[in-house]
Amino acid sequence: MSIRVRFFARFRELLGNEVIAEPSSPGTSLSGLVRQIAQKNKEGYAAIFDEKGAFREFVIVMRNAKRVDTSEADRVTVADGDEIAVFPPVAGG
Amino acid sequence: MIAIQREDVDIGRLIDEAKACGTGAVVVFDGIVRDDNITEMELEAYGEVAVPELGKIAADASAKFRLLHVDIVHRIGRLAVGENILVIVVSAGHRDEAYAGSRYIIEEIKKGVPIWKKELTKDGGRWVPGEHRHGKGK
Repeated sequence: MSIRVRFFARFRELLGNEVIAEPSSPGTSLSGLVRQIAQKNKEGYAAIFDEKGAFREFVIVMRNAKRVDTSEADRVTVADGDEIAVFPPVAGG
Repeated sequence: MIAIQREDVDIGRLIDEAKACGTGAVVVFDGIVRDDNITEMELEAYGEVAVPELGKIAADASAKFRLLHVDIVHRIGRLAVGENILVIVVSAGHRDEAYAGSRYIIEEIKKGVPIWKKELTKDGGRWVPGEHRHGKGK
């Protein structure tokens, strides 16, 4: 199973452009996968997750180009070929 | 023309092309790198999502304000003070629709299109905070 996890803006600076993750167990949750990747950088982890390991309120997560409600990301399981994107509030224009 | 690109935009050409049959007004919005004690601005986008979202905003604006033509070109990469960041060109039969459509498009872009700006300064840089804080899938 291979899943592409992408970070943008400040999160990209802290955690890198993208990670190709290969979760060992089927049924890995979206938030579990991102937590696992973010743990490689303490500052990056703290930018995305709060003390309880939940996505911070302002963090935006997409799965295959569709927004995911971050409060439900523990119950969303990732699948082979998924693209997950994690980014801070947008500031275009 | 709906695009996210590094290159600058030929606004004159876009205006010419916006003059569709029935046009009575063309409105141009040109967002520019402001000199806020910065050296440059760096922009990045989640292009695979941002371009379709710009297209949807253009289609929604066209339907809502009876626009005859819409161009949205957002630049990425490193831009100097005074350079164009975002160019929106709309045409309509009358000025009210053209102004309203242009305003709608820029506000919708700021609400949700995945693009980010970092102001680069002599001491480093700072990410421009988003105006809309919306992490819960909304």
